[in-house]
Amino acid sequence: MTNGIGRAAGGLLTYGFLGLMAFLSVFPFFWMALGATNSSIDIIKGRVLPGAALATNVSTFFTQVNAPLVFWNSAKIAILSTVLTLAVSSLAGYGFEIFRSRHRERLYRAMLLTLMIPFAALMIPLFIMMGKAGLINTHIAVVLPTIGSAFVVFYFRQCTKAFPSELRDAAKVDGLKEWQIFLFIYVPVMRSTYAAAFIIVFMTAWNNYLWPLIVLQSNDTKTITLVISSLASAYYPDYGVVMVGTILATLPTLAVFFFMQRQFVQGMLGSVK
Amino acid sequence: MSDLQLSRICKSYGSLEVIKGVDLDIKSGEFVVFVGPSGCGKSTLLRMIAGLEEITSGDLTIDGERMNDVDPSKRGIAMVFQSYALYPHMTVRENMGFALRFAGVAKAEIERRVGEAAKILELDPLLDRKPKQLSGGQRQRVAIGRAIVRHPKIFLFDEPLSNLDAELRVHMRIEIARLHKTLAATIVYVTHDQVEAMTLADKIVVMRGGVVEQVGSPLELYDDPANLFVAGFIGSPKMNFLKGVVEPGEGGQPCVCLPDHADAKIPVQLKAAAPGTPVIIGIRPEHFNETGAATLDVAIDMLEHLGGETFAYARHGKGDLVVIETKSGRGLKSGDRIAARFDPASALVFDVNGRRLR
Repeated sequence: MTNGIGRAAGGLLTYGFLGLMAFLSVFPFFWMALGATNSSIDIIKGRVLPGAALATNVSTFFTQVNAPLVFWNSAKIAILSTVLTLAVSSLAGYGFEIFRSRHRERLYRAMLLTLMIPFAALMIPLFIMMGKAGLINTHIAVVLPTIGSAFVVFYFRQCTKAFPSELRDAAKVDGLKEWQIFLFIYVPVMRSTYAAAFIIVFMTAWNNYLWPLIVLQSNDTKTITLVISSLASAYYPDYGVVMVGTILATLPTLAVFFFMQRQFVQGMLGSVK
Repeated sequence: MSDLQLSRICKSYGSLEVIKGVDLDIKSGEFVVFVGPSGCGKSTLLRMIAGLEEITSGDLTIDGERMNDVDPSKRGIAMVFQSYALYPHMTVRENMGFALRFAGVAKAEIERRVGEAAKILELDPLLDRKPKQLSGGQRQRVAIGRAIVRHPKIFLFDEPLSNLDAELRVHMRIEIARLHKTLAATIVYVTHDQVEAMTLADKIVVMRGGVVEQVGSPLELYDDPANLFVAGFIGSPKMNFLKGVVEPGEGGQPCVCLPDHADAKIPVQLKAAAPGTPVIIGIRPEHFNETGAATLDVAIDMLEHLGGETFAYARHGKGDLVVIETKSGRGLKSGDRIAARFDPASALVFDVNGRRLR
């Protein structure tokens, strides 16, 4: 009897806690969706019911913002960053795990240490470098610093530990060169790892704000995050319009995640079965 | 089919020498099995033949051509791995034809060879499946098929049956033996399972610590081991080893006195050992019988009834454990005292360093 009550109380606590966490996670999205249907005044008043201003907010957003250009800029940067980051970092992760050398671990640890350096410390040197290279106000300037990601290299190295060395041996006996092993065996076998990394890197690149804010100076180069930020920081911000922009900005990352979620979960669990 | 020669082959990782001057001649069409305990260097030696490990010194020749620095794919070898190493993203057909595709073989020829190998290995219905849709035995057959389609001079097998269950292992062992007969191929096979070695090999190479201990046919190694290690490694259950001392026997024939077995005297044929020399007597469990002239008085510790035969684990006092195989052991029970008889001529004698004394 006492045991039964204890178990029920424990269950209540657990579900109560999980429910609270779920609420905290989901409420911002819910509020964002509701906000897009309300006027700015209603949002400020704290209205949490659907309103009738959706059409007005959408129309205002598309009037104020050159949406196709802004989304194209974001997509271009996110896709380019993701593809280049995956290419470079997976090669590096593979190399760190597969090839032995005297200084391998030292070099790897030094690379991991770069994770400790806050971006704020890198901003000014990066800006000077980009300035000297004549890349300020170009999308290349946004993409370049993201390519060599210590975290993604670390992730690929860890996942490569599960890549069977006998596959590499078999490929060598089959006549493949090292680059062919990477391209024709490693990449397809590790596709879940790539999918998981793709989602992480794509979301990071799509949501990137601080560095694009610094290097992208003209309106025709700006990304969606910068545009939403400028809408929100206007003298009289229209929060309904900001919410519409936020929803539209969230859609591509959601689409990427839903499209690849099965691979993502496999990649996180270990991609080689 | 092809001849393979290893001449003073060495392999070192820094200061650690793992293969120490191996000399070996493998004739065309031979089935040679490398056996030895874990870490003895048998897989490393196989990988050196395959070109997957560099040869530190010595010469590796195939059909008289030095292969030390030749790319694995150009040595005329094909290898079957312990974990099968099938490409998981390709179908059985693609796995089998992959090496040929890379070698630039025409599509029709690839199809023909894959079909031929699939027929030999009964893989036809599985050609469009992915490896994850196959059982362990089927995967192993695909791995062998992948080797066959290349028409290699030499097949290399690295513990190919280790991942299979006991029943499947027996089945695949027969398959491999049949394959050797059908293809008349030169095969180098690594295993730590001496039953596989005994049943498959034309020639067994016993290795320990990077050194070849003995090379010979399975029965040569069984009947006439060169040392204590080979005697203990070949045969299951392993040979019994009893400590003794050489003594002068009747009529000038020396005998070995076994202090741990109530000073039992075993007459032996020895030319080289002087009286007083400490030795080790080796008796195989299956050499105990009911009519032998030599006797050990022992008490049974434990029994294993396998149906057809019984293994009795027995000892005299606190002496070494002796394993006795008997066909008539159903009536025995733990604690029974028995006189374990054997023919002294079947006993082998080794010195304390493990060298065979004759």
